[in-house]
Amino acid sequence: MAGTEEFVEADNAEVIIARIEHKSRKIESLLKQFKPVEALKTALEVSPPKTRDERCKSANWIVVHRAIMAIKDVDGMFSLLDPEYYDILMKYLYRGLYAADRHTCDQCLRIHEKLTEKAGLGCTLRALADTVNIF
Amino acid sequence: MASTLRLYLTCIRNTLEAALCLQNFPCQEVERHNKPEVELKTSPELLLNPILICRNESEKCLIETSINSLRISLKVKQADELENILTKKFLRFLSMRAEAFQVLRRKPIQGYDISFLITNYHCEEMQKQKLIDFIVQFMEDIDKEISELKMSVNTRGRLVATEFLKQFI
Repeated sequence: MAGTEEFVEADNAEVIIARIEHKSRKIESLLKQFKPVEALKTALEVSPPKTRDERCKSANWIVVHRAIMAIKDVDGMFSLLDPEYYDILMKYLYRGLYAADRHTCDQCLRIHEKLTEKAGLGCTLRALADTVNIF
Repeated sequence: MASTLRLYLTCIRNTLEAALCLQNFPCQEVERHNKPEVELKTSPELLLNPILICRNESEKCLIETSINSLRISLKVKQADELENILTKKFLRFLSMRAEAFQVLRRKPIQGYDISFLITNYHCEEMQKQKLIDFIVQFMEDIDKEISELKMSVNTRGRLVATEFLKQFI
């Protein structure tokens, strides 16, 4: 039984990685057109659904990281971003703060401050409490 | 530089405000016992995701929450060997007097310089906002303290060396 689950996961993983690569190409083209907020929206939606495969999670993180680092105007971003993305963005910000890279941490801290002002403490608590979808 | 420190402290403050929701929870395994669940980590349903907030490669803050307790571990910036030694000695001095601080842990977590343990009892006796203010103020002051200590060591070293070498003139 465990064997078949692993088999399904591996199949699923290939499909998910292919989807992530397609998403990555779309994001690169959006960034070339100077649309960083659309790129971020594309990166945040359709995140891997409850996959435990580390490769999928890291592949998705790389894509989201690219989109987050491309944001220059944080206030402008929030005026264009829908509230439904706030929770997912908060989780990815904490993932970014986990990485000890100075530039990533700077950017994530900047966005975190504004996101907390916009979304409130509930958003932070949902990121802390969600043990199912761990990015 | 100052702006990243402000952002770092704001992030920690906001995370602590969200995470410091503690309530009394007696131990599930042993009756009539009440233990801080974040230290034992026996039941996963009582724990929240641990959060690591890094300011850069050398400074970070780990916040682990559970239903009745919260643990904050800090790694302080240490630029050179002297700061390393001073930080270790100074924080060890504080940790040994942990009872006076109440929320301080006697031993820091592996990989960090100092740790705080806040339980629901602390939240009942003390105000949550003031606890958070204390932690953030501590983080601000620790850098200043270490710099002052380093300066005083260097000054004393220079004075002693000057006096000692005068006899050879």
